[in-house]
Order: sequence, then C-alpha cells, then structure tokens
Amino acid sequence: MLQTEQEYIRILRSRLEGTLPHDELDDILSDYTEHFRIGKANGRSEEELFCSLGSPEDVAREIRATHFVKKAEDTRSCRNIFHAVLATLGLGLFNLVFVLIPFILLVVLLFVVFILGIVFTVLGPVAFIYSVLQIAGIPAFAIWLSPAAGVFFSIGITSFGLLLVLGDYYLAKFFYRIGIRYLKWNIGVISGTECVT
Amino acid sequence: MNIQFKKGVLEICVLSVLAHKDCYGYELVGEISKRIDISEGTIYPLLRRLKDEGYVTTYLQESVEGPPRKYYRLTESGRTEEHDQKEEWMRFASSVNALLEGTTDAAD
Repeated sequence: MLQTEQEYIRILRSRLEGTLPHDELDDILSDYTEHFRIGKANGRSEEELFCSLGSPEDVAREIRATHFVKKAEDTRSCRNIFHAVLATLGLGLFNLVFVLIPFILLVVLLFVVFILGIVFTVLGPVAFIYSVLQIAGIPAFAIWLSPAAGVFFSIGITSFGLLLVLGDYYLAKFFYRIGIRYLKWNIGVISGTECVT
Repeated sequence: MNIQFKKGVLEICVLSVLAHKDCYGYELVGEISKRIDISEGTIYPLLRRLKDEGYVTTYLQESVEGPPRKYYRLTESGRTEEHDQKEEWMRFASSVNALLEGTTDAAD
C-alpha cells in the first residue's frame, strides 16, 4: 500500500463520509493535513509521517465510535445506543467480550422484566373476572381460598405488574446513562493495532 | 509496552503538556511521542473529545512559515481536570511502585 499523505486523507475521508457532518469531517481532515504539512516542513517524509500516525482505519473507527456514542448521549433512543455499541465493537475484538456480551445480557434482562410485568398486569384482570364469576355463583375451579381474597389478589398482582414495568423503565434509563459513560471510557482505553516501523 | 495501557494514560499526558503551554497539534504529538511510543494519529481524536468535554479550546495563530496553525489551550475546567487526574495518577503510581518493590524484596 502507498503510504502517502493523499492516501491517508483518502482513507479517512472514505471511512467517515456519510457518517459525520461535512464541516466536522473537513475539520478533522484539516488536522491531519496540517500534521503532514508541518512534518514535511521539518524534513520528514510522507511515508515516515504516515507510519508514525498509525493506521488511518483505526483513527476512523475511533472517530466513528466517538460520534455515535455522542449521538446516543444527546438523543436517547434504542437505535442510537445500538449504533453506538456497534461502532464501539469495531475498536477491537476485545469489545466482543467487554461491550457486546454485557449489552446483550442487559437487553435480555430488561426484556424479561418487561414481559413479566406485562404478564402480571394482564393476569390481574383475568383473576378478577374469575373471582367475580365465583361470587356470582357461576361454577369455576376454586383456586382461591375465598372469592373475596381473589379480588384483592387480582388487584395486588396488577399493581405488582405495573410496578415491574415502571421499574424496568427506570432501570433502562439508569443502564443507558451508565452505558454511555462506560462506552466513553472504553473508547479512551481500547485501541486497535499499532504501526510497526 | 501494552497498547491499552498506554492509551489509557494518553489523556493525562495531553492535559499535562497543555498545562505547561499552548501547543499546535504537531508540536503536541511530538512532545508525547518523544517519550511514549504510540500511534500518533490517535491524539487528534483524543483532542476532539477533550474539546467536546470543554477541557480544551482551539484558536488559529499565524506562523512564520506557511498558513496559520490550530493551537490547543486548556480551559479552566481543563486545568481542574488536569490537576485531579495528575493527583490520582501520582497516588496510583506510588502505590503500584510500592507494591512492585515490595514483591521484589520478598523474592530476594
């Protein structure tokens, strides 16, 4: 591969185009153009500068990850956090274990709690109707000690279900905030390969 | 040395260099890579993050040769951050050193 300034800038641009806004992309590219310009003025070759900068692909991955995490922080949505996690995965195999697996476990946990909440919420009215039928003398399986207890039980179980759903919502918000902080920290620490001279 | 290890301390290094003087990118990269062997390209994304966090601001300044250069300057909150991180690092480093020296003593 050619290790020229032009090539470095070309790779960066092609990896970031369409992801970043134009002015931000231009700003980033100008940092590297300046780096090459001053380096060359100091008598270093383009190849030398290219190599000590390291792989432009890694730089692009890091910028993408930062961009998506910031976006997920500014606008909370499932889509944005999903993009942020995906972009962070690109930083290294390492993150399959340290980002993807925790993320999947959390999503499953939140989903299971949500489903449980819904089930309990729906179960309440069902138990209620059941108890009312019993009180009305319509024969049904006697699952309660008394139909009256069944009425209270049904109210309790619906409240519990609603509480679970509400709790799940706050839990999701909490993990979202912690997750963003973790991803930011992660970007600062995890990096890809190093250029060997 | 382990890349992850180095990258983790890069932020405090950048903040520390900027605490002494304003630098343009190439100069800052030079100051750091003089002492730590690192992919120099990753310093620019780090600088952008520091700018987003409000620790650093940039300004353009004319240079004797060629077009103006982008300088980085530590903000007030950047100075506080530098101070805090430095203290934390010093404490951490001296604890690790004490431990390492402790184990070699025991091995001897």
